[in-house]
Amino acid sequence: MKFVAFHLMPYRELPADFEQNYPSVWVTPPKELYDPRKGHRMYHDYLDELEFAVDLGYDAVGVNEHHSNAYGLMPSPNLMGAILSRKVRNSEKTSLIVLGNSLASYNPPIRVAEEMAMLDVLSGGKFIAGFPVGTSMDQNYAYGINPAELRERYYEAHDLIIKTWKSDDILMYNGKYNQYRYINPWPRPAQRPHPPVWIPGGGSVETYDFSITNNYSFSYLSYFGHKYAKKVMGPFWERNDELGADRNPYKAGFCQIICVSETDERAQIDYEEHVRYFYNKCLHVDRRIAEAPGYRTAKSLRAGLVSQFDGSYKSANQMLKEGMTWQELIDQGFVVAGSPSTVRDIMTESLRDLRVGNVVCLLHIGSMPHWLVQKNMQLFAQEVKPHLSSLFSEWDHTPYWPKGYADEKEKVAQAATYP
Amino acid sequence: MAEPIEQIMQVNEQVAFDVKIAGEGEPVVYLHGAGGLSWDPFLEELSDHYKVYAPHLPGTAHSSGLEHIRDLWDLILCYYDLFDCLGLESVTVIGHSLGGMIAAELAANDQSRVDRLIAISPVGLFHEEEPIADMFAMLPDEMIQLMVADPSSSLAQKMREVPKLPEERIEATIQRMQNMQAAAKFLWPIPDKGLKYRIHRIKAPTLLIWGDQDRFIPLSYAAAFHERIAGSKLDLIEGAGHLVPMEQPAEVIAAIRRFTSTLRASSR
Repeated sequence: MKFVAFHLMPYRELPADFEQNYPSVWVTPPKELYDPRKGHRMYHDYLDELEFAVDLGYDAVGVNEHHSNAYGLMPSPNLMGAILSRKVRNSEKTSLIVLGNSLASYNPPIRVAEEMAMLDVLSGGKFIAGFPVGTSMDQNYAYGINPAELRERYYEAHDLIIKTWKSDDILMYNGKYNQYRYINPWPRPAQRPHPPVWIPGGGSVETYDFSITNNYSFSYLSYFGHKYAKKVMGPFWERNDELGADRNPYKAGFCQIICVSETDERAQIDYEEHVRYFYNKCLHVDRRIAEAPGYRTAKSLRAGLVSQFDGSYKSANQMLKEGMTWQELIDQGFVVAGSPSTVRDIMTESLRDLRVGNVVCLLHIGSMPHWLVQKNMQLFAQEVKPHLSSLFSEWDHTPYWPKGYADEKEKVAQAATYP
Repeated sequence: MAEPIEQIMQVNEQVAFDVKIAGEGEPVVYLHGAGGLSWDPFLEELSDHYKVYAPHLPGTAHSSGLEHIRDLWDLILCYYDLFDCLGLESVTVIGHSLGGMIAAELAANDQSRVDRLIAISPVGLFHEEEPIADMFAMLPDEMIQLMVADPSSSLAQKMREVPKLPEERIEATIQRMQNMQAAAKFLWPIPDKGLKYRIHRIKAPTLLIWGDQDRFIPLSYAAAFHERIAGSKLDLIEGAGHLVPMEQPAEVIAAIRRFTSTLRASSR
């Protein structure tokens, strides 16, 4: 089992009336609400937290990309990755994951090949490259990308980046959206032919196929936890089997909000306020800008509408809107919270059920103060993680995880003897 | 009353148009707006006076090949291909909103294909100081409020209707999304795709029709189109918002007939 200490880097101090009196956490949150002095403190707290996760021996530290978003203050996750790479390079256990760069919005897309190669070299070959399509809020509304072109641009950028990484030649590319005569980025990645690729995505067959056939690891990044993830991971494995691929659990991951405390009661006291901040304020998205026409294919749209209208399915947002008690949040799997043994039990069962080798752990949630994040991270790393680590150990994780410079160190040392 | 016939026309290797055709007499091509094409009282009455060709925008109804059309330039060429298939060497083109922009581009790019241009509250220009609202970030009722002069009219009420049966609701939603998706391809994120660089090339006699209460594309845009198209005529329709042809069909048809008959009498 592999555990990623993941950070969204939310703004911790949105006003109490945010969800009542402000339009949206995304695309249109008023900039006046951002205080750079507080932001300075938050960034450094968050980086400290991720560095602490390296000390605690998490399998990876992870960051991601959002735009015009008050709960995701990393328009450039690669900047954060660069800072973290300094600590990761000295770690025996921890990799660095940027989950990831929304490919369609990088112009030229070779920029991703370049920056990720920098991160791979900086971290000592311990880098995992995440390639999300990106949400409609980020890509269409905040970044103005035509929804009709988004997926095509994504696939073309992916093709370009992978070709670039795999080849040592100077390449030419004559695509629909990209034309280059001289593709020859320096540096090239430390890992050969390239860092492991993870695909964060929703539940579309297109994404499953893309991930499985390319031997990438698929991550379902929702904020609604393990029961909800079942709706996606079930079909993912069905599709995997249809394609005749192996059942390596490390080709799948999901995101989980985790809150560990001394006891179940104490967990509610410690964390409920911050979890509520997250669900109420950080997920307060104006539905006007929730999905541009053309963001989803007609096929995905139809599938979504059918389950919405026939009453077979209540959306997580609906459940939240109707109000959920702390216990309901736990029972529905949105949050895994409680004493170490409670968290262990729930995690063991859900990981087996979902058959996922990677957990993207949200250990900082909403408005959580620095000390509480440290407590959460430490309790999970010391009291929970060791009990789960052997799960799926019969499977080889290395197709989806960096090996680091361990075997390269020798080569480097040898090379050094030649002036 | 003319019932339209529907024809699928493969206009080039990639693109097929679903065209509604009705009426007799002088041919006119009608290009619909972002909301899609339905055979409404306006088109019915128009076909009492003209032979109307009303193609669905690729990606809507049974018009296909949107994924092969890269941009507005490709789209314009597809419409010329359609004119070829229909045997229309030079024709009167009427376009509403998005269709108005396409009509203007058709007239600007190849001056020989459009013999009269009738643009009804077209998009295509954009002024930051008086921006056109973002139609892709609106709740359905906000859209209605902005589109029609009288949000309590029967037209507005009809637009609010939601089918009862779940299957019908799904189909209606998908159809609406497909219309918006196709429109967004040519209007995202700002409905200005460079007409301002080409508009001076429009030489066809031009009639601009605008609802005097258009809250979506304000009257300053009517003035801008009027000023930039030499010799153009501007008719303001009273009591109409942005959906002029649906709101005041008789007035719009009267304006079109005045325009086409005057031209016939004087300059043609």
